[in-house]
Amino acid sequence: MPVFESKEKMVEVLGGLFNILLNDPVAGPKFAAADIVIKFNLSDPSGELYITPGDGVKGEVLWGSQDIKPSVEMTLSGDTSHKFWLKQISMPIALAKGLIKAKGPMPKILKLLPILTPAYAAYPAWAKSQGMPV
Amino acid sequence: MKGYTDLNIELTKEQITIKEETRRFAKEVLRPASLELDKIADPEAMINHPLFMDTMKKGYELGYHTVFLPDTWGGLASDPLETHIIFEELAWGSVDFAVGIGVSCFPAFFASMVPSDRLIDEIITPFCQNTDASIIGCWGITEPDHGTDTLTPFTPEFKNPKIKGQTTATLDGDEWVIRGQKAAWVSNGTIATHCLLYPTIDESMGMSGGGICIVPLNLPGVKKGKPLDKLGQRALNQGEIFFDNVRIPKEYMLVEPDAYEAMLDITLSTANAAIGTMFVGVARAAYEEALAYTKQRIQGGKPLFEHQMIKHKLFNMFMKIEAARSLSRAAMIYNYNNTPPKIEYSIAAKVFCTDVAFEVAHQAVQLFGGNGVSREYPVEKFFRDARAGQIEDGANDSLMITAAHHL
Repeated sequence: MPVFESKEKMVEVLGGLFNILLNDPVAGPKFAAADIVIKFNLSDPSGELYITPGDGVKGEVLWGSQDIKPSVEMTLSGDTSHKFWLKQISMPIALAKGLIKAKGPMPKILKLLPILTPAYAAYPAWAKSQGMPV
Repeated sequence: MKGYTDLNIELTKEQITIKEETRRFAKEVLRPASLELDKIADPEAMINHPLFMDTMKKGYELGYHTVFLPDTWGGLASDPLETHIIFEELAWGSVDFAVGIGVSCFPAFFASMVPSDRLIDEIITPFCQNTDASIIGCWGITEPDHGTDTLTPFTPEFKNPKIKGQTTATLDGDEWVIRGQKAAWVSNGTIATHCLLYPTIDESMGMSGGGICIVPLNLPGVKKGKPLDKLGQRALNQGEIFFDNVRIPKEYMLVEPDAYEAMLDITLSTANAAIGTMFVGVARAAYEEALAYTKQRIQGGKPLFEHQMIKHKLFNMFMKIEAARSLSRAAMIYNYNNTPPKIEYSIAAKVFCTDVAFEVAHQAVQLFGGNGVSREYPVEKFFRDARAGQIEDGANDSLMITAAHHL
């Protein structure tokens, strides 16, 4: 049984998480200024999630197929995603074990990691508030 | 010499500038320095010669040590195609310095995969901001009794518990304790300030029970051996490192046995793609010298180049170099854009390009005739450098067996 019971739940939880990140007074503008489009190809449940720089000041969360070329593409399951944000699995281990498949230049992927720090910090409480197991 | 015609018609102005600037640096700084340093017989005297560190510093000032690192911390953050262009040009000037500067980033590069505040403050940022080569990294993997067999992830032998590593890491409270020795072939070994070390953690898993950690080499218990005296790439410092109960913070262990084999696969894939690219540069250096020489050297009443057999040989060299560049560039672009990588392509590039470099340098020596074996001309150095490349970063024969497991 996938940790996200439905696509709607995944949209609510992961979409909400990225909105927290993009609204963060420090990380939000940093992400927008980094000019990186991340596409998550999620499975179980399946979904496509884009995080874009938006207008360059505040980024944007988009679900579904978009006519945007991603700078970095991550392919992973909903379960891996949940574990990743709970810090139960690190990026290099997930990449090494093939739990996350990444497409895009390594420096760009590595650049994302520190920007995502507020999302790591926020996820346990956010996920719990959404009724997710933490 | 204008260099080569790039068959990629989509290079941006920025990429063309990167190529021209790197070539200028390689021609004006790296080539003359490596030729001069190559003449110093004692490898200890070589690294103590002011020219050695001055050259490293110049590479650092231009940021070449941070090719793989994100711009967040001041790295060059080169994309895979740019990385290929840079490594080929650097190695065209001097594969010795190209390897030395390239491997220097290993501790900071791996730290940037798990960028905790501590690792950012203590490892990544200081390295990226370093411009005087006072922070130098090395990759400590091979051991006196373990050479290329340390580079055989996902082969059955790699999990054989009877085959044990000679450097171990044991967790003791909040610290890892490192004991053992790494081989004389650790690039930057005796000049490095930090080592990306691959010790054994779980011996029951054989060679696959390793870990990846950062060891600052000023810690108590670290000792370094003498610089290796070797055939080629003499301006690349190499030497052993000894660890006698060296204690590192728990946080400096980046990878443990559960992910070791897969991370080694990524390491080898990254390193082999880079080495393949660099030896395209070595091959080109030898070819360009031979082409220029045969156009001015008169034999039998006309320039050597006007002899049909010589033309045939030179075109053969040219073809091999173009094929090597095509393969190494494709492998690097694919594998530096996809994680996990397809290691067989990186190994194919490494084996093919180092073999091509050796064949081309061998022909170049022949085309120079007696002058080819004289130290007055650089081709004999390229020949020695190329020979070392067939063993460096994994002996070609063994690497092919590792790669074949993926077919």
